Amino acid sequence: MPQLTDKKTKVKTEEHSSLKGTLASVFLLGFFLIFTWVGVYFLFLDRL
Amino acid sequence: MHMHKYEKIWLFFGIGSLFLFLTIVGVSAFAQGNQPPSCLTTIDPEKVDQTPPFNKPGLVKTGDNEYQLNIVASAFAYTPNQIEIPKGAKVTINVTTKDVIHGFEMVGTNVNMMVEPGYVNSFTKTFNETGEFTILCNEYCGTGHHLMTAKVKVVDKQ
Ligand SMILES: [Cu+2]
Repeated sequence: MPQLTDKKTKVKTEEHSSLKGTLASVFLLGFFLIFTWVGVYFLFLDRL
Repeated sequence: MHMHKYEKIWLFFGIGSLFLFLTIVGVSAFAQGNQPPSCLTTIDPEKVDQTPPFNKPGLVKTGDNEYQLNIVASAFAYTPNQIEIPKGAKVTINVTTKDVIHGFEMVGTNVNMMVEPGYVNSFTKTFNETGEFTILCNEYCGTGHHLMTAKVKVVDKQ
């Protein structure tokens, strides 16, 4: 039994891989989407 | 469940923009009364020529500076196809079709509708500047599709 708990704590303390690149690419995509939507909205206003 | 801090950040932005979009659509529809160009106004597509106002298509004055422009689309023409609108007029365009699905695009403006048989599509626009607009069909409707056009002239009031 003590061996089992040892294993569990090992899994819990496993190091996270860095998500910096993921964060950057997610927000790059997000800003691109916002930019295109705002662009389309201004095109709409211009044609009113 | 453990979640990475970055994951929380982008989930917050994702779900946040979903709610922002729903709020904008909700305010636009329920508070400002916006609706799609065809909002369940129906017509018998086989009796378009006998049904007012499409039995006499064209520009009709409905009020002070307010007009109705009723247009019938059919393969491969708009009736009427030469229209004069006085400058500054607020025009509600009503379109329907006698046969297949057509498009109704006023080039360079926000007037852009799909015209489906059995439905009346409407769009209101104020014409504040003189000029010429081309109306064209942007839904492929058959061999004469590319010839399907009409012309609108916005002219100074006499
Ligand atoms: Cu057509």
